[in-house]
Parts: sequence; C-alpha cells; structure tokens
Amino acid sequence: MEQPLENLELHLEMFIENVRQINIIVSDFQPQGQNGLNQKINSLVSGLQEVEKLKNQLGDVYVPFEVFEYIDQDKNPNLYTKDCMDKALTKNEEVRGKIDSYRKFKEHMLVEMYKTFPNEMYQMYRAIRPE
Amino acid sequence: MMNFGVGEFRKMESYSSPKSSPRGGRSPVVSRQDSSGTLKTTISLGKNPTIVHSGPFYLMKEPSGEAEITGATNLMAHYGLEHSYGKFSGKKVKEQLSTFLPNLPGCDGMPNMENSTLRSVIEKPPIGGKELHMLSSVQLAGFRLHPGPLPEQYRTLNTTPARKNKNKQKKAKNKDGTPLQDNASQADGVGGLEAAHEKKHKKQKRHEDDKERKKRKKEKKRKKQRHSPEPGTLGATGGVIGVPGPSNLGMPTSVGGIGGPMGGNLMMPTQTSMF
Repeated sequence: MEQPLENLELHLEMFIENVRQINIIVSDFQPQGQNGLNQKINSLVSGLQEVEKLKNQLGDVYVPFEVFEYIDQDKNPNLYTKDCMDKALTKNEEVRGKIDSYRKFKEHMLVEMYKTFPNEMYQMYRAIRPE
Repeated sequence: MMNFGVGEFRKMESYSSPKSSPRGGRSPVVSRQDSSGTLKTTISLGKNPTIVHSGPFYLMKEPSGEAEITGATNLMAHYGLEHSYGKFSGKKVKEQLSTFLPNLPGCDGMPNMENSTLRSVIEKPPIGGKELHMLSSVQLAGFRLHPGPLPEQYRTLNTTPARKNKNKQKKAKNKDGTPLQDNASQADGVGGLEAAHEKKHKKQKRHEDDKERKKRKKEKKRKKQRHSPEPGTLGATGGVIGVPGPSNLGMPTSVGGIGGPMGGNLMMPTQTSMF
C-alpha cells in the first residue's frame, strides 16, 4: 500500500515543482521563454495524466473529512491525529471508570440482596451456576 | 390456559392491530424457548380467573456474553498505539500547515482565497472522467504571453520566494559590506591591524582580514621570488609566514599569546611582524 502512496506523493511534488517553475517564468515573462513555457504546460498535462493513472491504485484509501477542515484552516493535519488520540484516550478512561463503577455497584447489590433475599438468591445461584 | 413470559406479554400489548392479534400469531401451545427468563405465569380464565406463577422468579437476566474488548482494557496499548501517542503527546506539534509540508512552495503566507478549500472540492467536485490530452500547438497559442512583469493582483503568489531572496540579499549585502571595512583597514596599514585587534571578537572581520593579508603575502612572495635568486630560502620564509605547509602548524599557538584566544586563522600579528 505504501508504494502507490509514495508514487502519488512523488508525482504531486513534481507537479508542484512544475507549477512553481511556470510561476517563475510567467512572473517576468520574456519572449524567448515562450517555448519553455509551452513545454512546462505540456508537462503539467502529462503530470495530471500520471496522477489520473494512480487514482485506481488508491481506491481503498479513506481520509476523514475533518482532516480537510484542518488543512483548509492552514493547520497541521498531525494535530487532527493528536486530537483524535487524546479524545480516544479520554473516552477510554471514561468508559473504564463507568465499568468499574458498575462492577462495584453489582458487588454491593449482590451483597445486599444476599442479605435481604437469601433463599431466592441461593436458588438463582443454583439456576445460573454452570454445571 | 395461556402460558407466556412477561416480555412476550409486553410484545402483545404493543401490537394493537387486529391483524397481529395473538390468535393469528404463534400458537400458545407450542413451547418456546424463553429468551428473557424473567417471569413465567399461568393465567387461567373462566369463572374464577387466576394468575399463578409457574416458574422461578429472577430479578436479573442471565448475564450477556461479554465482548472481547471493552473500555475496561487500555485500548491504546491493545492496538499498539502507545508509541504514536507518545510521539504526539511528548512534544508540541507545530500548528502551521507549512511545518507539515515544508517543501511546498507558497504554502506559508498564502492568502486563503474563496472556494479554494478542499471541502469545496468535495462538495462541488470538478468536471472529471474525461481523457487528458497533450495540448497541440494551436491550443498552446492560447498561452502566448506578453513580455513584462505580472500585474499587481497576481504578485501575491510570489511572496514566499521573495522572502527567501530578501534573506539572501541581506547576506549578499554583508558580503559586499565587508570589503569596505577591509579597504579601510588596508588604508590604515599598521593602524588597521590595531583596529582589528580592537574588534577581534568579530570573527567575520577576522576572516576577511586574514584573506587580505594572505593575498598580500602571496604578492610579496611573488615579488621576492622575482628578486631573490635562492629558491630554498623562499621555502623557509614561506613556512614562517604561514603559507600552507607543515612548518605552519606551530604558528597559531605562538600567535594566540598575542591575539588572545584565536583560532588557526590568527596569524596576522606574525604576518605584520614580517612587514
């Protein structure tokens, strides 16, 4: 899976570099630069063709929408990963706390029920006890 | 006689439509496995309707099968993400996008134009699915440009490279600026050496002065070579002066005493002594 992604990254970098070079050519255009510009424009087209070809190899890559929001806001997408991990850890601890509370509650409940309904609890114990 | 669990009774209540009446449903005679296991009652209809509990009564359901992984386990450790978490939580992640894409030109300080967001690309996908062809010479004629700089409104795109160039220009200015100082020191002659002594903490100047002196030395050597008939003596002087050679190695230590804690470049006092 890594190779198509790396390939795409490489092609995108080349494409960006081409655009940058076109920017330089165009920013102070000289008549003799027309041929170079034409070549660069065609290399852009070929770059897009390459990216189009790679599209099929990346059909199973899913990106969360929120990542795009981070990028649109000029933020580092690694922050999204960090936030996700923080949230997951917090939630994990929350749920663990709840489970512990329920476990303690169950223990207390059983103790109290044994005190209040000893016979019924004994019957229940016999019913659910694995043979 | 009807025999059903409480759970089932509730189900029947919820089906008020005549089509889904219990009679039209499953036969009550057929024994069914009690899924809830909570309460079994026998209701006898007739002159004296009675409700008799016909099974054991439990407050609790049978415990449901536990899931393999629950929140009780440390999921970060379970999925082997501790290293990644440590990486992100250990050091502060820089917020700017440019730190994630350091090689992307124009990423920093690029104005966010309208409809240039990734979200807009997803919400309104561009026209695609057409085959891409290279542009013919006729089509390329559309890209024929007028010579000259870009109009003002498009120059913002060049801001980032311009910044880099500015830094370079500053450096270049420094480089240009130093020879002026050198010229001054040259003009001063021996006085220039004193000035260099005063400003010995400035390394750059030192380097430049050294270069100048080396040049002067070379020139003197050449002159000497022209005048003196003995090449052997020249080699000896060369060693003393500090022109690359093995005899040169001891020089900086002796010079260090004069010029203070200076590096190997600080041969100037001895050089000046030669003058």
